[in-house]
Amino acid sequence: MFLQNAVADALNNTEWAFPLAECFHIGGFAVAIGSIVLVDLRMLNLGLRKETAARLLRYTEPWTLVALVFILFSGAALFISQTFVYIPNWVFRAKMVVLVIAIIYNFSIHRMVASAENPSPGLSKLVAAVSLVLWVSIVFGGIFIAFV
Amino acid sequence: MDIANSIQSIGFLTDLRESALVYPFVLSTHLACIALFGGMILMTDLRLLGLTFKSLTITEVVTSLRPWKRLGGVIMISMGLLLATSEAVKYAPNPFFWTKMTILGLIGVHALVFRPIVYNKTEELDRSPVPPTRAKVAGALSLVLWTGMFTMGRLIAYYEPKQPAPQASQVTPLTNEALK
Repeated sequence: MFLQNAVADALNNTEWAFPLAECFHIGGFAVAIGSIVLVDLRMLNLGLRKETAARLLRYTEPWTLVALVFILFSGAALFISQTFVYIPNWVFRAKMVVLVIAIIYNFSIHRMVASAENPSPGLSKLVAAVSLVLWVSIVFGGIFIAFV
Repeated sequence: MDIANSIQSIGFLTDLRESALVYPFVLSTHLACIALFGGMILMTDLRLLGLTFKSLTITEVVTSLRPWKRLGGVIMISMGLLLATSEAVKYAPNPFFWTKMTILGLIGVHALVFRPIVYNKTEELDRSPVPPTRAKVAGALSLVLWTGMFTMGRLIAYYEPKQPAPQASQVTPLTNEALK
């Protein structure tokens, strides 16, 4: 089955386009998740203790955002190239649900607690731990799509 | 090939390769390490280049992330070893795999070269108002090497060994149309 659209054409008809999109996807999540994890690490009081989580967040957020755009575009391209593979795949659908939750969580609760003046250490740790679990599970989801 | 075959025939590696759950779990952990610890490498490189975290000293970034990067490196390499050895027959002839291993070697060389003059001299670097050239070179090279690492890692999956030459009967005869 072949999809008729420009992106799908490009990804299905050249040898390098699909792997290239995957590399953008991987490079993108290294930057996006990596930058979020630095803030989480601080919130868990496990590193970068000489700086506040709020300050770290201000540094990392532009990188998170730009990388997120890369991930979403490359991910959308991969999806469009074989919608018939992804749509019926339950891991893919679960990944999308968790992804939406993670993005909303990151820019609401996570952002609020990370940039708070004096958040309670317990709350900070909980929020950071949830953030880590969400993002790591999305990476796992990406791999498991190919194995169910 | 014989060596590759004997490696991947080791009991638990065969189990790993054939497991519907453990293999993707190991692969996911390998990838999650890219997200968790690759990001730390990247942020260190950006700091060395003077592109972000300017209120943090290079010393703080390097020393505070070092134990985490080490832990990440150990997990990442262990998972990578499991992945490669359990599929040794497939990996042995794969040029992308060997390119990746070469880059890994170069990352070792990078560490040998820059550890004494950059990573173990961060206090000296911090005294300079902008990161000195050697710090920027270390950061830039690290970015290039690690980009090469994950790109080659991905491309490993796309290598197809050359098929044996087709039999005469299977060769499509040239038609007049093709000769025109």
